[in-house]
Amino acid sequence: MNTEDQIQQFRQAHAAVRAEIGKVMVGQDTVVEGTLVALFAGGHVLLEGVPGLGKTLLVRTLGEALDLSFSRIQFTPDLMPADILGTNIVMEVPGGRREFQFQRGPIFAHLVLADEINRATPKTQSALLEAMQEHQVTAGGEIRKLVEPFFVMATQNPIDQEGTYPLPEAQLDRFFFKIIVGYPTADELTEVLSRTTTGAGAKVERVLTREALLDLMKLVREVPVASHVKDYAVRLVLATHPKTETASPIASQYLRFGSSPRGGQTLLLAGKVRALTDGRFNVSFDDIQAVAATALRHRLILNFEAEAEGVTTDHIIGQILKDVPRDVQAVSV
Amino acid sequence: MSELQAIESALGKAAARRRWARALRGLWYGVLVGAVLSLLLLGAWHLLPLPYWTLACAIIAPFPCAVTGLIIGGWRKPVLNEVARWVDLRQHLQERLSTALEVGSDKDGGNWRDLVVTDAAQHIKGMDLRRLVPFHLPKATRWALVILALGAGLGFVPEYRSKSYLQKKAEQQNIKDVGRQLAELTRRNLEKRPPVLEPTQKALESVAEIGDRLTIKAMTRSEALKDLANVAEKLKDDIKEMGKDPGLKKMEQTARASGGNDSQSAGGLQKQLDALQKQLGSPVGNPEARDKLKKELEKLTEAAKGMADKNSPASEAERQKMSEALSALSKEMQDMGIQLPQIDEAIAALAANQPDLVLKDLKSSLVDLEKVRDMAKQLQQLQAQMEKMGKDLAEQLKNGQPEAAQMTLQKMISQLKSSNLSNEQLQKMVADVSKAIDPASNYGKVADHLQKAAAQMKGGDKAGAGQSLAAAAKELGDLMEQVGDAQAMLASLDTLNQAAMAIGSGQGWSRGNRPGFSPKGKGPGGGVGTWGDDSKEWDGMYNDHWDNSGFERPDEDPRGHSDRGEGELNDALRPTKVKGQFKQGGPMPSITLKGVSIKGQSKVEYEEAATAAQSDAQSALSQEKVPRAYQGAVRDYFDDQKK
Repeated sequence: MNTEDQIQQFRQAHAAVRAEIGKVMVGQDTVVEGTLVALFAGGHVLLEGVPGLGKTLLVRTLGEALDLSFSRIQFTPDLMPADILGTNIVMEVPGGRREFQFQRGPIFAHLVLADEINRATPKTQSALLEAMQEHQVTAGGEIRKLVEPFFVMATQNPIDQEGTYPLPEAQLDRFFFKIIVGYPTADELTEVLSRTTTGAGAKVERVLTREALLDLMKLVREVPVASHVKDYAVRLVLATHPKTETASPIASQYLRFGSSPRGGQTLLLAGKVRALTDGRFNVSFDDIQAVAATALRHRLILNFEAEAEGVTTDHIIGQILKDVPRDVQAVSV
Repeated sequence: MSELQAIESALGKAAARRRWARALRGLWYGVLVGAVLSLLLLGAWHLLPLPYWTLACAIIAPFPCAVTGLIIGGWRKPVLNEVARWVDLRQHLQERLSTALEVGSDKDGGNWRDLVVTDAAQHIKGMDLRRLVPFHLPKATRWALVILALGAGLGFVPEYRSKSYLQKKAEQQNIKDVGRQLAELTRRNLEKRPPVLEPTQKALESVAEIGDRLTIKAMTRSEALKDLANVAEKLKDDIKEMGKDPGLKKMEQTARASGGNDSQSAGGLQKQLDALQKQLGSPVGNPEARDKLKKELEKLTEAAKGMADKNSPASEAERQKMSEALSALSKEMQDMGIQLPQIDEAIAALAANQPDLVLKDLKSSLVDLEKVRDMAKQLQQLQAQMEKMGKDLAEQLKNGQPEAAQMTLQKMISQLKSSNLSNEQLQKMVADVSKAIDPASNYGKVADHLQKAAAQMKGGDKAGAGQSLAAAAKELGDLMEQVGDAQAMLASLDTLNQAAMAIGSGQGWSRGNRPGFSPKGKGPGGGVGTWGDDSKEWDGMYNDHWDNSGFERPDEDPRGHSDRGEGELNDALRPTKVKGQFKQGGPMPSITLKGVSIKGQSKVEYEEAATAAQSDAQSALSQEKVPRAYQGAVRDYFDDQKK
């Protein structure tokens, strides 16, 4: 299969998954689209929104549409790391002998739904760090590889709600996207009510196999990026670093920490997925700009002044996008 | 052509067009900058006393700026990759072209390379370069044209110059004019009569040089006066030095004491006298009698003008009366020796009852009478000059007439050379020469030569005597040359003083040198209504009176007074009271000064005296003869007086 066919297959697969999700999910296009971009880029997604907006439904539906193993972890304050990773337990083996055997936790699945992740304590949250970055877990002094592809789709309630713990910066940075799930519109809500208050239930088909998904993820990484587009992504990330020469004025004013290099990686990878989805063979400035907010918002740490003034990271990113020119040389021709 | 080449070709064309567009934009921005510069310069030139090259710069400024803008705009050749990015941006091609160029250059790009290049080539196919890079005029064009129009309009606005600046410029111009006149006049004098002595030559050349310096160099009034004063001082020293020569001194003293006039030779005077007497014929009476005749003739001419109609009886009586008067006048004139045939013709015309002819004859006779009167006056002057002329060598030397004495000596030499010189004539010559020895003592070695000549003549050595007389004549000639040099230097000093006065007063050279303005009254008139060329100086030619008698100028006949109404003054001419000035007719403020009271009427014009005093003051200021503390006061005083 040549590259063009692969690209065609990518678009078909994307459309198919999108359609299957659409059978269950009403509206929330940007949320669905962002989740799919992270999926094809091989990244984890943090969905934030008040309860009842369909976050869990979205991830569950995605698990049904993909021919992948799926597990759900409901994060609670008393949840322990071992509850996620697994633990060694004493098992009686044939011959009457007893030995420790590792009992795998729910993390050992392709698609893990970490529901209400910020309800667990930071200690428990941190159990995901290694799994999310290295796709492996260490338990009982033994490293165990996770299955590929491995995705963590986490949902969280806004941090100002009761019984929530903020996610550590290190873990936040490991999420490819942070997607804000907003309220549905009137039409969407009507449709939701219609669908959920009648007997008819939609059946979601499995449209993408594990192998096909791995191939498409590999294809995404091959999409070429022009040097000046790459440079733009770099300049955007550098502009978030407060108190540096490259910093945007608003970043210096309102940020305590800027984006890590993972932010730049996210921008490019997400841009590539978007280019393929859009039927293009190269990444454009528009692609970078389109994913900038979801890719960077959870990587910027606000300072006290921003907190006091109610400035959001989305506002800062919007201003940085205005401050950083796309292509200086093109203008000077 | 491969797809990549097609992309590169299209981008190359876009780059060239874009370069031209930038060059044209640069041109218009250049014009704008030039126009602003031009406007600023013009404004500055209108407000400040800047030199004329500022104006020239203001006019040409937009052109070099436009060229510079064109060059700057079109100088940089854009790189293809940059153009690709620019086209991506303009055409919203989502970085297809720039990525294609970058990936295309990578030969190991594989399938992705082909996909990206093909995609880019498809998108560039429909690209319209004219729409992509239109040659339109930038906004700067409008502003440039507006500012250029403003600049052009400003060109018609008269520039502002302060009074002090205008005065300074006028002074500088005046200094230049005076310098030019001074140099020209001195050079003309040098050409006309080259000095004999080297110091004189140098002194006069230095005067010409100062004239050149004044013309070329921009000087202030005080600088110019200082320079002039220095040269004048040097000239005075030279003259003083020259005056120390005893021969010259005595010759000058003699000439001054006797009041001798050696400008015309005795022979020349006699010739003029004879010619005048021939013209006049018999003696023409005394001046009073001639004036009386003229008055009578004028009265008769007036009567002829008012004669009544020729057919009336009254007219007959009138004619008779006039005929008798004319006959009496004619007789009177004949008695005085004046021949005016027009009178007889007028009597005949009167008899023939032709009043027009009578009037014409009478006018003609009046002109003739005037002419006779002038000739008689001239004759009297010549006779007076002849009387002053020395009769013999001794008198000529005594009267300070070296030219006449030289001629007399030449005459004697030629007589000595001729064979038919009688003994009596020789004796008379000896007596003349011996008599001249004493007055000749004032003329250097002339007395020695004459003494020697007298002795030689007594001894019968005619040839030797001739040589001695020739030596005396030569000595006289040399002395005359030296005197001529001294006179030239004096004249030059006068010129310098005149120049200093012209600069000091700021009224220019020509005012005091115009024909007709000379205080000596020489030269033709340069006044209003004549055809005299005021711009030219009087060069001393045509010194004799011009005879215009016989010419009739009907256009100059009086036409009576024109009606000028009730005598109301135009508003523009009405005197106005200006603050800070004395009111008309009001008392003049006066101060009492101790010193000699000068009574009587002044014989010098006030302005002339004031100008001279101002010139002296300027000279004294420039030579720093006035103490520094008083310099300002002196300057203010004369400046006020000038106002």
